[in-house]
Amino acid sequence: MSRRLLIVEDDEDTRDFIAKGFSEEGYVIEVASDGREGLYHATDGGFDAVVLDRMLPGLDGLSLIKSMRAAGVKTPVLMLTAMSAVDERVKGLRAGADDYLVKPFSFQELHARIEALLRRPQESEETPSLTCRDLEMDLLTRKVTRSGREITLTPREFQILEFFLRRKNRVVSRTMLLEGVWDYHFDPNTNVVDVHISKLRRQLDEDGADPMIETVRGAGYMVSDA
Amino acid sequence: MHNVLLSLRNSRTRLVLASMVLSTLLTAAILAMVYVTANRTIASETRSVVSAELTGLSDEYERRGVIGLMNAIERRLPTAADRDALYLLTGRQGTKLAGNLVRWPDGVVAGSGWVELQLRKGDTDEYVPISAASIRLPGGERLLVGRDALARQQFDRILLRSVALALFTAFALSLLTGWLLTRLVFSRLKDFADTADNIVSGDLSLRMPLRGTGDEFDQVASTLNNMLDRIEDLISNLRTTSNSIAHDLRSPLSRLRQRVEALSEPGKTDDEREVDMARATGEIDHVLRVLTQLTEISRAEAGLGREQFEPVNLRQLVEDVVELYEPVASDQGIQLDVIGAAEPIQGHRPLLSQALSNLLENAMRYAPHGSTITIGIREDGPFSLLSVRDRGPGVPEADLARLQMPFVTLDPARTQRNAGLGLALVAAISHMHGGAFVARNCQPGLETTLKLARSL
Repeated sequence: MSRRLLIVEDDEDTRDFIAKGFSEEGYVIEVASDGREGLYHATDGGFDAVVLDRMLPGLDGLSLIKSMRAAGVKTPVLMLTAMSAVDERVKGLRAGADDYLVKPFSFQELHARIEALLRRPQESEETPSLTCRDLEMDLLTRKVTRSGREITLTPREFQILEFFLRRKNRVVSRTMLLEGVWDYHFDPNTNVVDVHISKLRRQLDEDGADPMIETVRGAGYMVSDA
Repeated sequence: MHNVLLSLRNSRTRLVLASMVLSTLLTAAILAMVYVTANRTIASETRSVVSAELTGLSDEYERRGVIGLMNAIERRLPTAADRDALYLLTGRQGTKLAGNLVRWPDGVVAGSGWVELQLRKGDTDEYVPISAASIRLPGGERLLVGRDALARQQFDRILLRSVALALFTAFALSLLTGWLLTRLVFSRLKDFADTADNIVSGDLSLRMPLRGTGDEFDQVASTLNNMLDRIEDLISNLRTTSNSIAHDLRSPLSRLRQRVEALSEPGKTDDEREVDMARATGEIDHVLRVLTQLTEISRAEAGLGREQFEPVNLRQLVEDVVELYEPVASDQGIQLDVIGAAEPIQGHRPLLSQALSNLLENAMRYAPHGSTITIGIREDGPFSLLSVRDRGPGVPEADLARLQMPFVTLDPARTQRNAGLGLALVAAISHMHGGAFVARNCQPGLETTLKLARSL
């Protein structure tokens, strides 16, 4: 069954750009160009996710999301914002958004984040273990093995690996890692995330083994089954 | 501004009027009291003199009989005119026995106390007012003693006239002082209003005039001048910054233009075009990064986000940031040391993390291979301090103060990723936390310190 996505965005170009991208990925799209129309569709239900602009005519994004949550609608919401200030981002999350993305953004990043939001319910927090190919991760004993060989990871490395395995076969961007693993909502100038990944890679990949974490050019990283 | 002057004028009028009415009323009340008291005193004096005479004369009657009394009255008559005194003794049949009145006045019953009369004086048609008292003597004779009230009424009139004059003078005086006082106040206020008008019309270098008296007006003027200094400062900073923004965005945008033009050149391979595209995207990212940082700086300077303050354990915050940078540092052969601790402060956790990360990145850019960067946490008076010290070459003393200005970078080869906004943001974040950003040379190395007020 194809997934239904609601796009609430007043800028026509941006709206068409997002709608076209997700249509090509096989989504069924509904669009709204102002806050009230957006709220009407969102509370109508039946959507798997909502892409919501922060600044909208009629009813702004923050109010829309509050009204939506107050009405008991739990559909995951990704907020688009031209306001890149750190405290603005935090405000959006506190209002009930599940994720946010700063404009301008690449479609790849938006797609990765929406996919991540959609997977949330299936991968519940209670899953005792995560696997990928010959890698096994026991979340209770916090033991990681690859082809039966035990791998010792620092708590942070464990967290990064868990983040990847919960988003298996999906692209994970550097920003997503910074937000999800470190809870930092700013963009460091240096390649801090890459260095953490390469450290983790050295732990995971024995000589000659298939690399566990692939680099996706221009987008980030991915851990995949195949 | 015109409206302000108008309402000042109105309030001046009201002030003068109110003070005038008040002081006039007060003066009137005092004068009325003086008038009434004086009147009463004179009247009671007259009465006590008259009743003393009545008593004296009836004593004379008891001792020496009617003849004695008649003699006593006759003795008094020569001086009576001077004292405005009136006497009349009548016999049992009403005939005059002695005195300077012709006959017993009509309507006066002897022994009925005080009476006010109008009597004809001598044989003239002139009536004079009289205050008198009378008694009936044991032998049936009647005795009346009185005082001519004309003098008293004249005094009364003079008194009343003086009171009215005093009242008028007081009224005029209060009018004058009120006008003078408000004119004094108003002229100072007008100075301020005129200066403000000139500032509004564009001359930001003007200041409120001081008279050097150190009075309240001078105090207000110097407070206003401090404010104007600050505003002029901010505006000149703003001008510098917008110039820098224009300059700083012009370069990446013109490079971007070149890349886009290069894309349409014929005969390029797909790979070459891809490189051009990637470079163009890089330029756009740089512009966006600069804009994001500028937004962050202005928001922090404006104190936006203070409502998100929460208790922050600085040691914990430092350790988290250090953990993020540890692998990069160790790749560069740099060791990160954390020392000290402090009581939790009220702060904006994400922005503080960002500030520290900017300081750390700055230090790592200059730290030599194999050296140590020390991140210190300590308390100093009302501040908690977060400092980052590298063992690099430091910064020329003259440039230390400029470090926190936007678009200042001492990096001769300004890299794409360093627009010189990192430390400006750190400074803005410290201001948001009621503190300051301080940089000093430590020989060797630079120490940058984030001062944070423990309580805002």
